[in-house]
Amino acid sequence: MCESRSAHVRAYVGRTGGVAAVLAVAAIAALLTAQSTAAVAQEDILNYKGPDREQKLIDGANKEGEVALYSAMIVNQALRPIADAFQKKYPSVKLSYWRGDTEDIVAKLSAEERANNVVADVVEGTGVGELAVSAGFLTPYYTPIVEEYPASERDPSNLWTPTRLSYFSAAYNTKMVPADKVPKSYEALLDPQWKGKMAWRIGTSSGTPLFITNLRMAWGEDRAMAYFQKLKDQQIINFGSGSARTLVDRVMAGEYPIALNIFAHHPLISKAKGAPVDSQLMDPVATTSATMGIPKGAHHLYGALLLIDFILSKEGQQIMASAEYFPARPDVPPLPQLAPIVPQIAGVPENFVSPENLLKHTDSSEKIFDDLFR
Amino acid sequence: MDASVPSARAGGVPAETNGGLAKRARLRFSPLVFVLCAILLVLILPPTFFLIDVSLHTTKADGSFGNFTFAYYQQLFSSRFFLTSLRNTAIYAVGTSIVAITTGTIQALIVERTNTPGRSLVFLGAVISLGIPYVLYVVAWLLILGRSGPLNALLNQWFGIEPIDVYSMWGMIVIEGVGFTPLTFLLMSSVLKSTDASFEEASMMSGARPLTTFWKVTLRMGLPGVLALMLLAFIRAFESFEVPALVGLAGNINVMTTDIYQSSHSTGIPDYGESGAYSICLLFTVALLLLWYNRLSKHAHQYQTITGKGYRPRVINLGRWRYVTAALLILMFFLVTGLPLIMLVFTSLQPFYEGVTADSFGRLTLDNYAEFLRPGSFRDSIVNTLILGASTATLVVPFTALCAWLAARRKPGAWLLDQIATAPLVFPAIVLSVAFLYVFVNLPLPLYGTLLSVIIASSTRYLPYGMRYAYAGVLQIHVELEDASKASGAREAGTFLRIVLPLLGAALVSSWLFIFLLTVQAVSLPLLLVGPGTEIVAVTLFDLWQNGQATELAAMGVIWVALMTVVSATFYFVTRRYRIIA
Repeated sequence: MCESRSAHVRAYVGRTGGVAAVLAVAAIAALLTAQSTAAVAQEDILNYKGPDREQKLIDGANKEGEVALYSAMIVNQALRPIADAFQKKYPSVKLSYWRGDTEDIVAKLSAEERANNVVADVVEGTGVGELAVSAGFLTPYYTPIVEEYPASERDPSNLWTPTRLSYFSAAYNTKMVPADKVPKSYEALLDPQWKGKMAWRIGTSSGTPLFITNLRMAWGEDRAMAYFQKLKDQQIINFGSGSARTLVDRVMAGEYPIALNIFAHHPLISKAKGAPVDSQLMDPVATTSATMGIPKGAHHLYGALLLIDFILSKEGQQIMASAEYFPARPDVPPLPQLAPIVPQIAGVPENFVSPENLLKHTDSSEKIFDDLFR
Repeated sequence: MDASVPSARAGGVPAETNGGLAKRARLRFSPLVFVLCAILLVLILPPTFFLIDVSLHTTKADGSFGNFTFAYYQQLFSSRFFLTSLRNTAIYAVGTSIVAITTGTIQALIVERTNTPGRSLVFLGAVISLGIPYVLYVVAWLLILGRSGPLNALLNQWFGIEPIDVYSMWGMIVIEGVGFTPLTFLLMSSVLKSTDASFEEASMMSGARPLTTFWKVTLRMGLPGVLALMLLAFIRAFESFEVPALVGLAGNINVMTTDIYQSSHSTGIPDYGESGAYSICLLFTVALLLLWYNRLSKHAHQYQTITGKGYRPRVINLGRWRYVTAALLILMFFLVTGLPLIMLVFTSLQPFYEGVTADSFGRLTLDNYAEFLRPGSFRDSIVNTLILGASTATLVVPFTALCAWLAARRKPGAWLLDQIATAPLVFPAIVLSVAFLYVFVNLPLPLYGTLLSVIIASSTRYLPYGMRYAYAGVLQIHVELEDASKASGAREAGTFLRIVLPLLGAALVSSWLFIFLLTVQAVSLPLLLVGPGTEIVAVTLFDLWQNGQATELAAMGVIWVALMTVVSATFYFVTRRYRIIA
């Protein structure tokens, strides 16, 4: 096949380019075969279950010498401490990281996959996992540590593992909303006194689509739809640019008395500094999980597994907790000052919007938003 | 004079009198123009092809292209928001152009043409406000004009007026217009700096009053600059995103960019089809605008005021009126630079931001600054950022100067240079970033993930600005100086290097500073292009904006502005020292 193809190419490019074309085709063929053997070896590495797994990983990673993490975690609070701790434990594996939002990570990964020029060894973030899964970018892997996590937060097909949880709540300005008037349920948001006084974040799957998906999942389509019809009249302000954190900042500054669907711990962090803001959990609280996976064609598989094991370990999850995240691991508690908004502790029912569910509902929820709230 | 240098002026012969000759001249390319065109095409074609591709194909879940389709173009024009958005965009573009050009031109006139005291400070002010990262600049304005901001508090206290709503069209126009003022000021001042003042003197001696002179003489002579600015401001408004998103969306005012953003960015799977289609439509619009601009500047010799005679512009003695103009300058300095900067500093000294209240003055703290004294955070990235900014500006400025000179002198085929170099103006930053991401990740050269790839992409992105600065500058130089150089035996290269470049000095220095300051604060381009381990300050700032508190962000912003001011001032003094500018 190689022969006839090169003959064809030679006829096409003429005498001068002939030699180069033969060389190029030979090189491509060599690359292709190398890749298919590599693919077999890849699976063996990623799913190895022998008792010497850890030692094998360490030896392999030492040989690789480096590992690259794409993550949505904050650099100063989480990524740098994780890199430092990992470096201390495995001095000869250089961990470098790149930080971007979910959309950026997916865009970069998708470009790398399509060009077959994969730089990332591990990708992490809320929403990254399911998008990468649906695009077919991830490859299954085995790690014994994930057994220590609740089954509901794990992927049956082993394409991803959970890293950290997020709880969503409303935020309110304590000077503008007196304690006895705080809306404590989704129904209470329909009170005419909040008309034009609430804002929510649009333009990202963890914004309005999550809010809408959560209620559709928990209440069923009919009840949820009837609710949205009424909520429409409240003229919610569409906060279009900036993160959930910046929306909470606006609430503190008194721009908006109430913000919906923000990360429940952000108001607590600011409240501790004296800011006039607080969180209000509502039944059902939307809970999401960030996940991590290994892209197809990653170059440092031993390092990737070593890093994943580290992030899932107690030590890794403790770094996550001290970075003001909520560890996914059940035996690592969050920071005590953040505990009050963990639904289980606060006694408010939660609805775990799994990565699949969020992805599955996003388009239809976005349509509801477009029809009613835009 | 023209007859002696036919090749240089051939394209300038009005088409209606000698169409055949002009046509032939247009089809001929000088080797230099050919090489420059090739360089430009290498930079611009790949991302353009990507945009065309993306706008004509559906995007599948894995980011690959699906079927061929016109759906995105259809969507663009058939959206139920289309007409409203288009009308809003037009109002917004005209409004911001008027605000920016009026304030910038008034500043430039006062600074370059009068003996108003303290006028050199305006230059510093422009540089400082360009140094404020744009997102921060917008947020600072929102804090000032917002419902809980000091302006509304004062209005309410003094006049009992209902709070004014900044999340409205006027809010968008004021914020974007004022934010664009440094650009208009820098460009107009470089134009005026190199305009012969003898016309103004003649006008004054004939009894015209200063205002009449400004209106009838100075402004008319600066027309190429004004037109270039209108072009820039107008197009920029069409592709700008930050202000429409931060200000407009919250007030339910949609423009084209936010409309597209809303329809394509919420599902998580990046789909740039509609943005691509919009960019391509803009590309055509800009090409038409440029053709029109070129027709206008065809009679460019009218504006050539730098001649063989001494041309140093002289200042007009305003007498007692100079205190009025000084007050005006102070007011504008306060508006363009002072207010947002004060707001930034104030916010950075707060444990949390709750508006400007009596309480808040009692809680001043330096805690937010402590964050940056910790090792590793932000210091690593400064070197990368400075290399990025300085290299980009240093590449773009001489390159565009050469292109602009060839284009302005109508060398055969050189009009193409202007067209191609202006194209990147219309690509929204995020779309251009994705386009370049695909270009570099697929390149067989190991450029992907390197700082060099960011420099190449940034240079492409800021070509249009360099082009407009240089073009406006070249139009003012009378061709007789170059003819003299040629007559004395200098070749074209010598003429360009020893006559044109030095005369362009002021324009090029402004251009360098402007491009430097824009490059170092760009976020999306470096974010997608750098690899793990390479950090850029603006990206770090953006992380903080996304995840941190407004107060920490403000602190980092203040440090950043201070650093940028020092860098810019150093650059300014060095160029002065070596007499690149007077």
